[in-house]
Amino acid sequence: MSGAASPPIERVLFTEEQVNARIREIAAAIDEHYRGRDLKMIGVLKGSVYFLTALTRALAIPVKIDFLAISSFASARNSRGLVRIAKDLDEPIEGEDVLLVEDIVDSGLTARYLLQTLAGRAPNSLGVCTMLDRTSRRLAPLPIEFRCFEIPDHFVVGCGLDYKQRYRNLPYIAVMKPGV
Amino acid sequence: MAVIAIAGQPGCRVDQLARLAAQRLQLELITESKLRQLLNDEFGSESAIPAKALPHALTCLLAQLARRHHLCVVFPGVELIVPRFPASLRACAVAAEHFRLGNLMLDDHLEREPARALLAQLEAQRKQTLKRCFGRATIPPDRYDLIANAETLEPDQIVDMIEGAAYAQGLLRHGLLPPEREAELQFEMRLQFSRHGLTPAGTAALVTRPFANHSEQVFANLLDFYRIAWEYEPKSFPVEWDKAGKPTEFFTPDFYLPEPDLYVELTTMKQAHVTRKNRKVKRLRSLYPSINIQVFYQKDFQNLVFKHGLSEQVLPA
Repeated sequence: MSGAASPPIERVLFTEEQVNARIREIAAAIDEHYRGRDLKMIGVLKGSVYFLTALTRALAIPVKIDFLAISSFASARNSRGLVRIAKDLDEPIEGEDVLLVEDIVDSGLTARYLLQTLAGRAPNSLGVCTMLDRTSRRLAPLPIEFRCFEIPDHFVVGCGLDYKQRYRNLPYIAVMKPGV
Repeated sequence: MAVIAIAGQPGCRVDQLARLAAQRLQLELITESKLRQLLNDEFGSESAIPAKALPHALTCLLAQLARRHHLCVVFPGVELIVPRFPASLRACAVAAEHFRLGNLMLDDHLEREPARALLAQLEAQRKQTLKRCFGRATIPPDRYDLIANAETLEPDQIVDMIEGAAYAQGLLRHGLLPPEREAELQFEMRLQFSRHGLTPAGTAALVTRPFANHSEQVFANLLDFYRIAWEYEPKSFPVEWDKAGKPTEFFTPDFYLPEPDLYVELTTMKQAHVTRKNRKVKRLRSLYPSINIQVFYQKDFQNLVFKHGLSEQVLPA
């Protein structure tokens, strides 16, 4: 039965202990940066759920959370790809300090689209916090204020990152076997 | 002949709209920076052009270019000039202040208050330029054929409107600017230039490069959708020289993204041809260590295209 099989991973990139320790460091930096301000952390579904949960638990400052989900689909009219918000925020962000929380920033295109959408809603500030930053394929410049780990150009799973919707719940971050 | 002027309030990302419109309508895009470069080439230096002569200098340049190309132009006040051309359209993007502030916050990595100060500065600069060069600090709405709200309409939708207006006016059915009309305009402009002691070189020309393959077009579409400024093959780097020091081989990356200061090379060709390309990229990196270049191989590119919902199949070059 495939569900009981071991995950097809090549090696563990960051252990559970390393991930948790780094999350605590980043949480301390966020505490420092946003102390006395009105912080709202916005998670991008589904990947950021695990990271956002761990991060907010490690924060000392009060924080609000909300979620966004996007979907991409092809346009029949022209060859341009379209990305749209599939689940919008529940509350407005006007006047708030907003931190977009991502599991991984790769090309930066998705995060940039979301930031552009959020920027028009009159937040006081807008930043990005990502668990993993894979800069080798970056196309869009992003204001990444907080990052746990910069990673090389590997396909990784765990801590919210999936392969075909699986392995998000692994407590560590691992490199998938080549050719999977 | 079509000359489309795209203008807008600061923070409306006018360059992006112009790029999209130029691509959709197959016009040559003349950005503010490109037009300034052309002014330098044509008149020796832009600073040599008195402010009052700038509208004439712009008209002189655009008349030369419109003889060979359909144009989409971005430059402060150019919307006051283009009605002199037989087939023209003026579009303007506007938006509420909070939306424009948001764009500046994102584009310049600013918090709200510094973005507000920057917006005020950009607005003041625009008014000053218009007043100095065109004798008026603001341009009334009736000087535009089309005004679109960039907050309520996506860039694609605004370009739909520009495209519709261009077709409705029959702009794209016109041929290029007739020689006799160019001669009339140049004669008028030279009369004006004589007052300022200006002599145009009369050699303004655009170097145009069509995309080499379909993948490049798809990639450009992707960048446009995500509002990432790009230039296509803007620079060639010498990578080999002969004994006399003359360059014998060049490498021209496919795209340049000004914001991250990044060159991008798409390598969607078959693996057999990739090795040669890799060698060139390696050579470029060793010769120009300050150059930031990323290579997207076929699989990377397919992943990118798939992830971002593009319908087109990526074809090997």
